Amino acid sequence: MSVSGFVFRTLMFALLWWILTEGDINSWLVGAPVVVMAALASAALLPPVSWSLSGIVLFIPFFLLRSLYGGVDVAMRALHPQVPISPGVFEHRWRLPPGLPRVFMADTVSLLPGTLSTGLDDEHLRVHVLDQSGDYISELSVVEEKVARLFGLNLHTDKRGE
Amino acid sequence: MLDWILAALVLVGAFFTLVGSVGLYKLPDFYMRLHGPTKATTLGVGAILIASILYFSFTTEAISLHEVLVTLFLFITAPVSAHLMAKAALHAKSKQVSRTQCHADFRQSGDVQDFSLRSK
Repeated sequence: MSVSGFVFRTLMFALLWWILTEGDINSWLVGAPVVVMAALASAALLPPVSWSLSGIVLFIPFFLLRSLYGGVDVAMRALHPQVPISPGVFEHRWRLPPGLPRVFMADTVSLLPGTLSTGLDDEHLRVHVLDQSGDYISELSVVEEKVARLFGLNLHTDKRGE
Repeated sequence: MLDWILAALVLVGAFFTLVGSVGLYKLPDFYMRLHGPTKATTLGVGAILIASILYFSFTTEAISLHEVLVTLFLFITAPVSAHLMAKAALHAKSKQVSRTQCHADFRQSGDVQDFSLRSK
């Protein structure tokens, strides 16, 4: 990781600490070492990430609307006297590259309507769905494209081994 | 006007938090039970936090950033914990209702094999 990247992360953690402690000067006695340790840990755990601003702007409304619908959907099913569900498990073949984009997609999927990620390996994302009559294959593809745009990636359209 | 928006947000938040718990109670197996708290309750707590952001931003001088952070962390951590619980349940071979259908070709690992056998 570059020096400027490390400095940027340190500053972000410092900002976080500053907000959490409401700018209390005395807290920096603990805060300064913690911020440096957090930055070191993040440098060791997470390689540099590139974000696309237009991707973020497009992703946020999509995510908020879909997760709102996700909450309403599971609420309706839970409150309905017959509990209308037909559970299933799908596997989605990754088009995203390994690392943060995949983890980000797995987490996003869990907050969207009727889907919950239960595992990810080198080739697939495994998703538990509440109602398998839904079109989850195209739903997951849409989510994947949004996540790819968020990280400024192009999905390679060739499906390996198929 | 602000009061009405706040009241609506708090009520909606309370409703979804409750419904998430109802889902946890009513849905038939572990994997389905995870859907309720992960989605509905996260949304409910999110709505209550937005109400809190609005209240403190309008009634005090400063914009309230604490709740923004809490909301952010909530949305980051809820799916991670649900994912890990689902993974742990698969590993422990937690029972699934028999009508759960697999639309995937599970081939390799042992626990996954069991998982597909159990699902008719």
